Amino acid sequence: MRIKTGFPQVEDIGLGFFWGNEPGEEHMILRDHGRKKEQVFLALACIVLLLAAAPCWGKVFRDALNRTVVLDSPPQRIVSLAPNITEILYYLGLGERVAGVTQYSYYPPEAMKKPKVGSYIRVNAEKIIELKPDLVLGTMDGNSSHTIDLLGQAGIPVYVVNPRSVRGTIATIACISDLAGVKERGDEAAVLLTERLEKIVRKTTGLDRPTVFLQINIKPIMTVNSHTIHNDVIRLAGGKNMTGNLPITYPRISREEVLAGKPDVIIISSMERGGRFERARQEWLRWPSIPAVKHRRVYLVDSDLIDRPSPRIIRGLEIMASFIHPEVNWSGGREVEKDGAAK
Amino acid sequence: MGLQSSEEAEMGTLGKPVTAAKVVKVSVVLITILVITVIVATMIGTATVTWEQLWNVLSGHARETDPAKLVIFRIRLPRIILAGLVGFSLSLGGVVFQALLRNPLADPFILGVSSGSAFGAVIGIMFGFSFTFGIPALAFGGALLTMYLVLVVGRKKIGMESSTIILAGVIINAFFTAVIMFFIATAVNDQLHTMLFWLYGDLSQSRFGELAIAGPAVLVGFVILYCFGKHLNLITAGEEAALHLGVDVGKAKLVCFLVVSLVVGLVVAFSGLIGFVGLVIPHLCRMLFGSDHRLLMPASALGGAIFLIAADTLARTVISPSELPVGVITAFLGAPFFIYLLRKRGSRWTGS
Repeated sequence: MRIKTGFPQVEDIGLGFFWGNEPGEEHMILRDHGRKKEQVFLALACIVLLLAAAPCWGKVFRDALNRTVVLDSPPQRIVSLAPNITEILYYLGLGERVAGVTQYSYYPPEAMKKPKVGSYIRVNAEKIIELKPDLVLGTMDGNSSHTIDLLGQAGIPVYVVNPRSVRGTIATIACISDLAGVKERGDEAAVLLTERLEKIVRKTTGLDRPTVFLQINIKPIMTVNSHTIHNDVIRLAGGKNMTGNLPITYPRISREEVLAGKPDVIIISSMERGGRFERARQEWLRWPSIPAVKHRRVYLVDSDLIDRPSPRIIRGLEIMASFIHPEVNWSGGREVEKDGAAK
Repeated sequence: MGLQSSEEAEMGTLGKPVTAAKVVKVSVVLITILVITVIVATMIGTATVTWEQLWNVLSGHARETDPAKLVIFRIRLPRIILAGLVGFSLSLGGVVFQALLRNPLADPFILGVSSGSAFGAVIGIMFGFSFTFGIPALAFGGALLTMYLVLVVGRKKIGMESSTIILAGVIINAFFTAVIMFFIATAVNDQLHTMLFWLYGDLSQSRFGELAIAGPAVLVGFVILYCFGKHLNLITAGEEAALHLGVDVGKAKLVCFLVVSLVVGLVVAFSGLIGFVGLVIPHLCRMLFGSDHRLLMPASALGGAIFLIAADTLARTVISPSELPVGVITAFLGAPFFIYLLRKRGSRWTGS
């Protein structure tokens, strides 16, 4: 974990936070030992570290691909190359500055009116060049290096982010706010989101971890392994991903394996509501040998809330936590003592 | 081009003899159409490029960072030239394979070049190799591997018997397709996108560096194959007859197989799999220009280039700013036109 290697240069923040999901992992180990003070300290350290990256223009940033990105002034025309980046920009109140988005940027609805620059996995470089942006925000898995090179040659700075965990998402939000020159907003948002996240972690610490089966596709039945952000959400929500150890990232699995895995909770995620997914739920209800079915714990969740690294993932985390730990009193504001006593 | 009309008499099956003048005339007309297609394709796209900008860019007046210059030189031209080379090679490959195997269903992928190079490419993508060198190199290696297997299997018995070779190609294709399906089923998400794009055919990643490799190789391949034009005529007419006329059929076939597979394997390594061009354009040209390979080869190759450039231009503009796989356009445009000509003129297939 890079945070340990030295204290923050502005450049280090991009790397330390976006290089894989290691900050989250580190926290995890500490938490598992129940070392609360260290946790608080680390959380504070993160915040301090974010604050340390003070804005001063003509600034040099380093992105997730370890590329240097120089910005002379806060960017005013930003092209987003992924739906979650679009969400982050709007969340930071930068909607006005968004010059272009990808095809499936449906949220928030205002984003749909922006010029389209192709799809997340295949962007149209011509269109981007024509929009004359002063910053392009891309993702590591979606956008090809060819496109990034091309835009670089056109003199358009491209900054690549790579949030792979819930905490990584929060760090990305802070980082994008810094790039855009509205660092205070991002830091404030990061503090609020981190608070909501920590509340969940706090309330589920020490509780049993129910086995969760997350179904991301109905036919064929597909789920997720541990190399996904869904896995991070399940883990932070106090659950254990039934299929975390499978070798394939988004494996197809048979109903039989779900029966054998005896999940305590089944969660079906989808972009659409109603019909099809209600039927998928009914399908599971025919197998009472599954603990989740026996105790009527089969739930539906909006997939946008748990599969994109956007600010809404915290909402997704809260919903998942309420499904996985219904016994916890979630409505209460600051009931640390009570929960502490409960374990 | 050494065409001697005295030899035409030997080819009774081919109908009207082809003269050097006719070959030149048809080629000049097609090259003119090709140039016009390239210019039009350079003008069309998501970003607007005016004639003035085009002129500035081409005459060297544009600044280095001029958006129009970037769009034309870095995005459109490399892509158009690659489309041209790929169309040229696939269509040429179709003509040669249809002649060698005496089978109207033969296409440039019939020896398993498609699945072989796809196999190589998918492995390259899995190990995270670059599109600049690693993936094309592996794709080409895969094409050579399947080609070698097919020829080893196909040659075993009697020389290079067509049906044995076709069957060997089909089986080896099936095997490698299964391997590819396995890799796709186990791929992680971001690799999956790349793999599927490759399998659908993707001309958008073209760079001038690749063109400098593929261009000369394709032209050399064409010249070699063109020298065998007469042999191909005789093989199409019947191998027995060819033998009687003193043509070493086995050797001619082997050289043609090797050269055409190398050419096809090379372009496919850069473009991914693009179907339909290699099957339809040769038949179209056969209907339009007859089946003498000395005319058919240049006509098909140029026709393939024109067709694929036009198809790719549509692919990148119809649902702009998004893009369709070019294979969708080649089949969508090619099939109806092909059916029209087939009904009007018959297949003109004289090989069997």
